[in-house]
Amino acid sequence: MSSIPGRARRLESAVSTCLLAILLLIGVGVFLKQFDVDMSRFGIGPGTEPELEIPPDLASFVPVGVEAISETEIYDSENLYEKIDGRAALYLDSGFKKLFAQRFVSKDDKNLIMELYLYDMGNVRGAFSVYGVQRRADVNALPAFPVSYAYRTSNALYLVHGKYYIELVGFSESAELLGAMIETAQKIQANLAADSDTEIAELSLFPTENFVQGSVKLYLTNGLAFEGLTDTFTARYKVGDQIVTAFLSKRAGAEEARNVAESYCKFLIDNGGAAKPATDKILEGNIIVFHHETFNTFEIVLSIGAFVTGVHEAESQELAEKLALRLVNKLSKAANQ
Amino acid sequence: MAEKDESKLCRREFLARAGKAGISIAAAAGLSYLLYDATGPKAGIGTGELVTLADFSVPHRTGQTMSVVKGADRVKTIDKAIELLGGIERFVKPGETVAIKPNVAFASPPILGATAHPELVAEVVRLCYNRGKAKKVYVADNPIYDSASCFLLSGIGKAASQAGAKVVLPKTHLFKRTTLEGGKLIKNFPIFYQPFAKIDKLIGISPIKDHHRAGASMSMKNWYGLLGEGRNIFHQDINTIIAELAMMVKPTLVILDGTEVMMTNGPTGGSLSDLKRTNTLIASCDQVAADSYGCTFLDLKPSDLPYLAKAEKAGVGTTDYDSLKPIVTTVS
Repeated sequence: MSSIPGRARRLESAVSTCLLAILLLIGVGVFLKQFDVDMSRFGIGPGTEPELEIPPDLASFVPVGVEAISETEIYDSENLYEKIDGRAALYLDSGFKKLFAQRFVSKDDKNLIMELYLYDMGNVRGAFSVYGVQRRADVNALPAFPVSYAYRTSNALYLVHGKYYIELVGFSESAELLGAMIETAQKIQANLAADSDTEIAELSLFPTENFVQGSVKLYLTNGLAFEGLTDTFTARYKVGDQIVTAFLSKRAGAEEARNVAESYCKFLIDNGGAAKPATDKILEGNIIVFHHETFNTFEIVLSIGAFVTGVHEAESQELAEKLALRLVNKLSKAANQ
Repeated sequence: MAEKDESKLCRREFLARAGKAGISIAAAAGLSYLLYDATGPKAGIGTGELVTLADFSVPHRTGQTMSVVKGADRVKTIDKAIELLGGIERFVKPGETVAIKPNVAFASPPILGATAHPELVAEVVRLCYNRGKAKKVYVADNPIYDSASCFLLSGIGKAASQAGAKVVLPKTHLFKRTTLEGGKLIKNFPIFYQPFAKIDKLIGISPIKDHHRAGASMSMKNWYGLLGEGRNIFHQDINTIIAELAMMVKPTLVILDGTEVMMTNGPTGGSLSDLKRTNTLIASCDQVAADSYGCTFLDLKPSDLPYLAKAEKAGVGTTDYDSLKPIVTTVS
């Protein structure tokens, strides 16, 4: 016979039933949630993003006389490597969202094949980053396109259109194929909605004198191999018979710019650089020059307003200071505006 | 008789309740243990026993480990390169079965240099049949991306078939799981095994290419095409996986094509301006030596590619290709 009175027993039963019900609810919750895991939270998969309702109809961009010979392939961050293997890392680091790819052929000549790659990079900076880093040397500009955003080689065409980075690759060298690729690119520009934000303000901040056309690159992370330099542009200049690289990164404000510049200076010293005074009177006191003995290269680092800027791997201090002066002049005006 | 204190449990009831609670906890723990999957999800291919690729290498011959032939015509350079190593008869005996593993990674035409050149693959097939008197030659690769398109557009499928080889596409049932002894990454992982299960000799054919992640893609990286679904995770440790692949695959011969080298934007390229004509072909029984020599065409030193040192340390081959006294010649 139980020694617990009826009232206490009823209370105990009620509490136990409540606890069991709560446990049951938790169990049901866990069971349901397992079908909807966001792997990106654990760094092992892509995030759950809303799908594009209608993927772009790539076939609508090609000229008359060109037809599709494959379906539109769609890749996301999880399977991009299946299409471009080791190059996927470059895109993923730059904000890649989707790739749409399709092959086309001339109706008149089945040997004339081209493949269209439309990379959705999320925004124009992501698109420009992969465009600039992969830009080929000794290429031809395309008259109808802004020089910083498009070029062609003997068999291919590359351009940025808003958030899209576009590659048109010909499977052979042919004037007819190139004409079809240019027409396709123009149709994409005219008809494919991209982003309202299509301009990159920093591009106009680089001095134009001796600027090497098409040399601007944008590193969204790890600019100049330094973790703290995000959103960093580099551009090349021909000074005398030497090529010198300038860099530029816009920060949230002057204080952050100063902090990033200081961190980068420390990074240079930690990696074998030695601080030196500037020889130019205008620059004196405003900048820090570093000489790396092992490589015999010179670096200049400074902050102007919200900009961290400087010169990278110049072969002499004189060259580095020449380019730094131009940067100071150009950016001082921009910082005061 | 005095009334019991009703707020207290009697000893018997306490023991009964404690026992029931203990049984419940043990049952829950036992059930959890039975349902617990310590290995995590599998890539979905092959269960059962693990397989190991055989050793396909041939006995060493001093002074005939590596040849380098300069010339623009791949048929002539490969003929000469193999002749300098003792002829195809050294590598393929009458009645043997040979597998050729070309790099067919992309649905890309030969002109772009992203895949092994079909002329080269076809000529090696012909050599195996005509001079080596091979019974059967297979050509196989696992591009992951739409393999049929890769074999079609690279021209390798047609060239190999016309030369008499059987092209094997990577169908799921042809994969088995393997574990590399002493390996860190290749553990219970699916590989494209079946075409290589009953062969006598294995020949790798690959172009020299820049590779965004690995620095260079050559003979050793070519074996990446043997890995099955889920191999992308290895890109995080690309140097180790390439070294482990070289440990896993002991080929008869590797052929490294430097007729045109993809200098930039590898491994896919896309523009003809990514390529540079260097008119050189390397044949080698030592894949580490071949790649150490090959990387110089990309303006790299062997020390720039950590996977070469790792493979050398594992005893796969040597980065000091000069020590092998490679035979160097030119064909018109």
